[in-house]
Amino acid sequence: MEDDAAIGVSDHVSSESNLEDSSCCCPICLGPFIQLSYLDKCFHKFCFNCILRWTNVVAGKHRSLPSSVKCPLCKTENVSIVYGGEGSSFQRHYVNKDFEDSFILSRAHRYRLQCYYTDQGLLDDIFNISQYWRSRKYTQPNCWLESWLRREIQALIQEKDVDIIMHHILGVVKAALWTRKEQKSHMNSPEKKQEEFKMSVSEAARRFLAAKTDRFVYEIQLFLASGMNIEAYDAVYIQRLGWSSPGINTEVSHSALVDRTTVIPYLYIFDGDSDENE
Amino acid sequence: MQASRARLFKEYKEVQREKAVDPDIQLVCDESNIFKWTALVKGPSETPYEGGVFQLAFSVPEQYPLQPPQVRFLTKIFHPNVHFKTGEICLDILKNAWSPAWTLQSVCRAIIALMAHPEPDSPLNCDSGNLLRSGDVRGYQSMARMYTRLAAMSKKG
Repeated sequence: MEDDAAIGVSDHVSSESNLEDSSCCCPICLGPFIQLSYLDKCFHKFCFNCILRWTNVVAGKHRSLPSSVKCPLCKTENVSIVYGGEGSSFQRHYVNKDFEDSFILSRAHRYRLQCYYTDQGLLDDIFNISQYWRSRKYTQPNCWLESWLRREIQALIQEKDVDIIMHHILGVVKAALWTRKEQKSHMNSPEKKQEEFKMSVSEAARRFLAAKTDRFVYEIQLFLASGMNIEAYDAVYIQRLGWSSPGINTEVSHSALVDRTTVIPYLYIFDGDSDENE
Repeated sequence: MQASRARLFKEYKEVQREKAVDPDIQLVCDESNIFKWTALVKGPSETPYEGGVFQLAFSVPEQYPLQPPQVRFLTKIFHPNVHFKTGEICLDILKNAWSPAWTLQSVCRAIIALMAHPEPDSPLNCDSGNLLRSGDVRGYQSMARMYTRLAAMSKKG
């Protein structure tokens, strides 16, 4: 009899702990997860509708919209609900819409992001990367690079504050191009210099940009090879790809527009696996 | 409405399974109304409520679990945070600190914890609160024990 009771209890305990670590069901409806979503700080899991309704209840109690919601399980303050995580993308619902509005991608950002979904090399005949290396043009500093990098990284990771990442990558780029190891590097072939550059920059960028890294390294070289400022560079890009420009709506071939804008730039999950996929 | 019903039904099933685990709590759903529950909780040991069994009445709102259930003591109890006449309970998780992750079962646990750790600074029962606040722990304990004997213990015991 005693044995039976013990088994019974441990059964119950395990089923209870299942419930409590909430691996099986949503702590709000106690049912299986429907549209699994996470809070952005503590990563506790809920049904999207359950946590959204709770968030609205909490918001209803405040006179002004709160910018965060306490996790029902651990009381951590969270600013957004992360949901719709399928494959490599996900979406966010911000507790306070104003908070979300603090950084929306500008049209220029969106435009740059779209460029990453086109085939690489569409502008190779205009900006010659290998010529750039061969002629050692890289020894000339580029004063627009910092701004260009900031916008590029903002577009790719869809965050406003990218200064740390930007300066990190900028530092690596500068070190690879403009440090005074000239005697040594003059002896190197331009190909070798280019390889070194690609290696060190992609190493620096990969943890932030993941699957977009290689293309990013290519885009940096393209921008540097152009020798242009950002506006001029964008203009050439836009002209070549035939998209409506960030600022102006121009008549463009509709098929091209439809083809290329079907990719909705969601947030991309940067995990180790996605590196290999592309 | 539908959500609260579904959730209460889940809790009902969980309570059936958990019964053996928590011998201090017995939650029973009203036969005809899933929004009405009663609970029998044992007074925690080493408190003046030890040996008593206290009955709680739950009234669950239709917005549950987005809104907390209303709970009150049906059994008379002498406790700083329980209204002596109505049985109303002053407990943060039943008001502002409510979270939808609480269940009726865990609310019972919270009430048991409150019985063991009264908060005399937010009293609903001023007499009880004043005894504790003035440092008369023995006075509080003997009053609480007396009411436990009178109201929460079967006559035979």
